[in-house]
Amino acid sequence: MKISFLLHNAYGIGGTITTTFNLAQALAERHEVEIVSVLRHRERPNFTLDPKVSLTPLVDLRHEKEHPLHLRPARVFPVAEYRHHQYSELTDQRIGECLAAIDADVVIGTRPGLNVHLALQAPEHVVRIGQEHLTLGNHPPRLRTVLRRAYRRLDVLTAVTEADAAAYRRRMRLPGVRVEALPNSVPDPVLPAADGTARIVVAAGRLVPVKRYDLLIEAFALVAAEHPDWQLRIYGKGEEQDRLRQLIHRLGLYENVFLMGAAAPMEAEWVKGSIGAAASNFEPFGMTIVEAMRCGLPVVSTDCPYGPGEIIEDGVDGRLVPVGDRDALGAALLDLVRDDERRRRMGRTAMANARRFAPVPVVEHAERLMDEAMSARRTGRRTAPERGRIRNALVSQGFAARDTAHAAAARALRTVRRGQR
Amino acid sequence: MTTEPGATRDAHLRADCTIDADGRIAFTFRSPAAAPGSRPPQLLLRPRPKKGQPEKVPHALDLEPLDDGRLCAVLEPRPALAEGRWDVYLLAEPGAARQRVRPGLRDLRALVDGQARDWPSPVAVRVPYTTKDGYLAVRAWLRTAHAEVEGIEVTDRTMTVRARLHGTTLADGAAVRLRLRGGDGVVRTLEPRVASDGRAFSFTVDYGELAVGQGKGSRVWDLSVQSRLDATASPVRLGRLFDDVADRKEIFVHPAAQIGAVAVRPYYTVDNDLSVEVTAATA
Repeated sequence: MKISFLLHNAYGIGGTITTTFNLAQALAERHEVEIVSVLRHRERPNFTLDPKVSLTPLVDLRHEKEHPLHLRPARVFPVAEYRHHQYSELTDQRIGECLAAIDADVVIGTRPGLNVHLALQAPEHVVRIGQEHLTLGNHPPRLRTVLRRAYRRLDVLTAVTEADAAAYRRRMRLPGVRVEALPNSVPDPVLPAADGTARIVVAAGRLVPVKRYDLLIEAFALVAAEHPDWQLRIYGKGEEQDRLRQLIHRLGLYENVFLMGAAAPMEAEWVKGSIGAAASNFEPFGMTIVEAMRCGLPVVSTDCPYGPGEIIEDGVDGRLVPVGDRDALGAALLDLVRDDERRRRMGRTAMANARRFAPVPVVEHAERLMDEAMSARRTGRRTAPERGRIRNALVSQGFAARDTAHAAAARALRTVRRGQR
Repeated sequence: MTTEPGATRDAHLRADCTIDADGRIAFTFRSPAAAPGSRPPQLLLRPRPKKGQPEKVPHALDLEPLDDGRLCAVLEPRPALAEGRWDVYLLAEPGAARQRVRPGLRDLRALVDGQARDWPSPVAVRVPYTTKDGYLAVRAWLRTAHAEVEGIEVTDRTMTVRARLHGTTLADGAAVRLRLRGGDGVVRTLEPRVASDGRAFSFTVDYGELAVGQGKGSRVWDLSVQSRLDATASPVRLGRLFDDVADRKEIFVHPAAQIGAVAVRPYYTVDNDLSVEVTAATA
């Protein structure tokens, strides 16, 4: 079968890009796979893409930034979507043309706005799979209202966690749409696993406030005070860089905590450590947690919605601590720093337990979804046995009403504010 | 963008590398990089010429097939590489254009605890790294002796450096030298506290002394240690070389102290050597 992914920007760095590349590459073993990148801003992707997967950019920002159509706001791509400001009439047009001419059997959208494009513009014969790498609970009411309408036209909607999939089933009424959790996959490591002897804690991700690297640094101060020979290495770039550096200086941790810059791939960096760490307030999945575990590191993470709790088994292959609790995070790190044997044992268990996120099981799951959606579309019957349908409908109508009210209130407030200027 | 002859834009010419504690580096191409020919393909390590100097002879290694068909070349610890940056190329067959190689996985874990070992003279260090334009290269240091910085503690008017000498020992009359860069031989000296093994030492720099006579702009003081009183003993540069970090400058960043109208901060140079920068406040 031929499968196309619709991706925001294949040339950047981030969890959605990584996981889309991973899934595309694994599917390319048996299928014809293409990634359509709406935007492009550099010659090559940051992450290496297997040549078996073809890559098609639609708008090249290196010479189309000033294109007259690109200066006008997008109309198909929803205004309420986070990245609306990066979209335009030009992206509307190019995505529309691309979908109209697409020869794929299955098209997979990878963010809400692109799922909307897919729902509205994909030809009738194409199976439409929307992937949500963010979470419903975090979408603003206005966006939820748009998605509630558009997503009815999808065949399958996947969330990355069971918790988020359940939220979609409960809060949106999507008759005939199959809603399932499809976790991100992480490729099989190439290097030998970490042996648990290094005195390094490793964290990775964009340096943005939600990742709470400030909390992690403060928690690590407890480790450094007792074990000054331990390091914390944070990989990634972002707006928080300067603030985090100031915090490191203020706490006197400049010989223990290092902002390493971005690293892609991370594998060779994980294996230098013996503990992984994540301090996010919110983590739709938790890709770096799985990456670290697959390299043999036990991960200490906040138990934030939604991913970490579905990846880590507390006390068995890692630790889960309350969100925003510096002392609990520091104590959990210290436990593993102090106890070499426990750290190594948990690392080995982490490696074994994280195999469920290997490409093979995840791809088989994705193939099953695609096959079933394809035969359903062929027979004109759009899937999904619905349990508790009436109750769900009532509940979701309640949420819909609330979102509409919120959205209207937000609009009214903006109008009032504008009037006051 | 590179315009160098023989450079490649092939995104898939990529080599993994693994280094052991002795500095032995194994370079491995994941997919066969060349068709079988009369002579094996080679990996070239080419010292990056200094500006205006002629190109030096590259170091060539045969690439041998492993059991699984991947091609592998091993750079043995000896002979040591001259200090500098060595770019990595593939020579698919004799006479072919050399192609620059992109890095795959760089397994450098054996380097992480390099400070725990003793490094005999000459001190030879290698760290495979990714160049700014995204290619694989090896950073090499080669010094008769080396003073490894193990820790820096700054206050609002001093910095205290803990270091360890490798390749030689400190004798009576040893002195830490702070030499003003471009300063016509202006040097300040300090007496280090030396451990009984003659290797570990520490010293405290009073920022106030470096700030004296500071005009506009900024000045840099380079730090070294003279191992004995004998003035013919060449000073040993202080730096931090014994781990996996090839470019330390933006990663190991220390706080600046404000001394009157000037800011003083220790920093690692592009060669991972230790210097102190004194900058007049911009009013």
